[in-house]
Amino acid sequence: MRYILQRIGQLVMVLLAVTAITFASVNVLGDPLTNILGPLASVDCTDVEAGLVEDISTRGGTSQGDCEVIALTRAEFNLDDPLPQRYVTWLGDIATGDFGTSFQNQLPVSTVIKNKLPVTLRLVGMGLFLSIMISIPWALLSAYRANRAFDNVSTVVSFGLLAVPNFAMGVILFYFFAVRWQIFPTRYDPSNAYSQIKSLVLPALTLALPLAATYQRLLRTDLITTLQEDFVHMARAKGLPSRTIMVRHALRPSMFSVLTVFGINTGALLGGTLVIEQIFSVPGMGGEIVTAIVRDDTPVVLGIVVIIVTAFVVVNLLVDLMYSILDPRVRRG
Amino acid sequence: MAEPLLTVRDLSVRFPTTRGVVQAVNGVEFDLEEGQTIGIVGESGSGKSVTAKTLMNLLPRSAEIEGEVTFDGRDVREIAAKGEDHFWGVQMTMVFQDPMTSLNPVKRCGEQIAETLRYHLGHDKKKAISESIDLLERVGIPEPAKRERQYPHELSGGLRQRVVIAMALACQPRLLIADEPTTAVDVTVQKLLLDLLDDLRKERQMSMILITHDLGVARGRCDEVAVMYAGRIVERADSHTLFSDSRHPYTDALLRSIPRIEQPSHTRLDPIPGRPPELINPPVRCAYAPRCRFAQRNCLEEIPDVSGVVGMHSFACHYPANTERGEAALQSNLDRGETAGGLHLHAVAEGAS
Repeated sequence: MRYILQRIGQLVMVLLAVTAITFASVNVLGDPLTNILGPLASVDCTDVEAGLVEDISTRGGTSQGDCEVIALTRAEFNLDDPLPQRYVTWLGDIATGDFGTSFQNQLPVSTVIKNKLPVTLRLVGMGLFLSIMISIPWALLSAYRANRAFDNVSTVVSFGLLAVPNFAMGVILFYFFAVRWQIFPTRYDPSNAYSQIKSLVLPALTLALPLAATYQRLLRTDLITTLQEDFVHMARAKGLPSRTIMVRHALRPSMFSVLTVFGINTGALLGGTLVIEQIFSVPGMGGEIVTAIVRDDTPVVLGIVVIIVTAFVVVNLLVDLMYSILDPRVRRG
Repeated sequence: MAEPLLTVRDLSVRFPTTRGVVQAVNGVEFDLEEGQTIGIVGESGSGKSVTAKTLMNLLPRSAEIEGEVTFDGRDVREIAAKGEDHFWGVQMTMVFQDPMTSLNPVKRCGEQIAETLRYHLGHDKKKAISESIDLLERVGIPEPAKRERQYPHELSGGLRQRVVIAMALACQPRLLIADEPTTAVDVTVQKLLLDLLDDLRKERQMSMILITHDLGVARGRCDEVAVMYAGRIVERADSHTLFSDSRHPYTDALLRSIPRIEQPSHTRLDPIPGRPPELINPPVRCAYAPRCRFAQRNCLEEIPDVSGVVGMHSFACHYPANTERGEAALQSNLDRGETAGGLHLHAVAEGAS
């Protein structure tokens, strides 16, 4: 219990550190006023007041002058406060669930996330599920007869999967399964739960295959090491069948490195689905992040960063808890 | 005479490695009657564990095995090749040296015993667990119901080895191979465990192969003792004969290197000089010759044949100890101050006299 609290403490620290760095960089590297107002931000107010420059916005029929707009915006976004103070204000808003408003389309960031996140979460979840379902039996089979025919073919296949870039993999799967054989839809179909899942199979598989190859490599190596342990010999001396020994004796103590990498990979996945979402026209967060970054849509960028960092830390917390489930020796520590 | 339970004939095991072929076991032969115990004694690398693992079909696939192993009239290597169920664990099983590593660290002790019962005897979970508790009690584990729920890391080395023994005996095997079962536990626990094994063996009419590097462990607990050196059995005799009237100089030297209670304190022990030989491409000679006090010229040129037949006192030596021929060889070496193998005898001879 104390351990879990300690981990949650760490979670908060990581969140603070990452958001602070991101917040500072988006505010320092680009001028927030320009990001919000566009070219208008560059109007020199002293010149306008002196009558040297024409007031642009009045031409559009609004009652507010350029400088008024600028002043109002500065006030609304607290742009005159020092950076640390703005960070704290922003944190307070986040804590109450207010992620701010997108500069682009004036929608609340929380709405943007609410629309896009579930699709991406489902995609990543399915991808992870598939990667595990593929890699564990695959690793068991190749470690059982290590360096024999199946294992040697596996090695070639897994390196192949790792070497093919995911856009190529996506296009190949898309061509065969969606275009040629038409087993899966070519576009994301949001009409019902079944069609949503069906549309996500191919993108999830694209995500899963290289991951499965990585996990298979790691798990295979650890299994081969475990299979040389005395307790595996003992299990064989007890006359247990190979299947039981592989699944019930060797698998669990061999899961640690796979689990560690699993935790590290998973956070990165949430922000890294752009290419796959593009190929399969999945309306997820990947595209949203890129648009937000390109257009300097600071609130959206920050909101998504918060989501990804939280997911990363939570997944790694779960991974840590898994260690103690897998190995009773960790429980006391 | 009834057919022996286990017969091993001309067993050889080779491991191809990058440095060459390791001849780990070479022409090993022995018989084991139902209910009897044979001790296999030798130092590290003498091939005793490889012999045991061969019997248990635990060697890696790269091992090249030759020879014949028959258990209860059936060819064990054929059983292994066919992958027969309910043979290992039920007919024949093994206890390993290190109780710290021979239990699965992530499974409860009781579960590890129960899974054997469930698989071989088809017990349901409840019955298997309650029988596991009985077994734990039988091997002298206090509070067996509590231990059953515990993980191996929560038990001491001695208790763990008892769990391993309970696990091995769960299905009432006819042959138990105990590979250095007490080497990894401290001396006070050693005797308790050996006595326990003895009791269980008698109670169940079980045969046992007791593998050890410690002659003292084999003494008094084995009907027959085989001494292994560099992959061969160099001497085999019934227990009494081996300890009182040994023939092979290696056995002789081993017996000499054991401290005795009747010796005055601070008596120098008599160690065997040198190291065990390399098993990769060994030269054609008696493997023990370079360390042997009896060695003569022909010991370095030919491998001595095993004299005698299986079941009787047999040994492989040109100049056996405790015989006229051997004593004469030793005397001539003592006179020259060194053996034909180039071993200087001054220091050794002093202790021996």
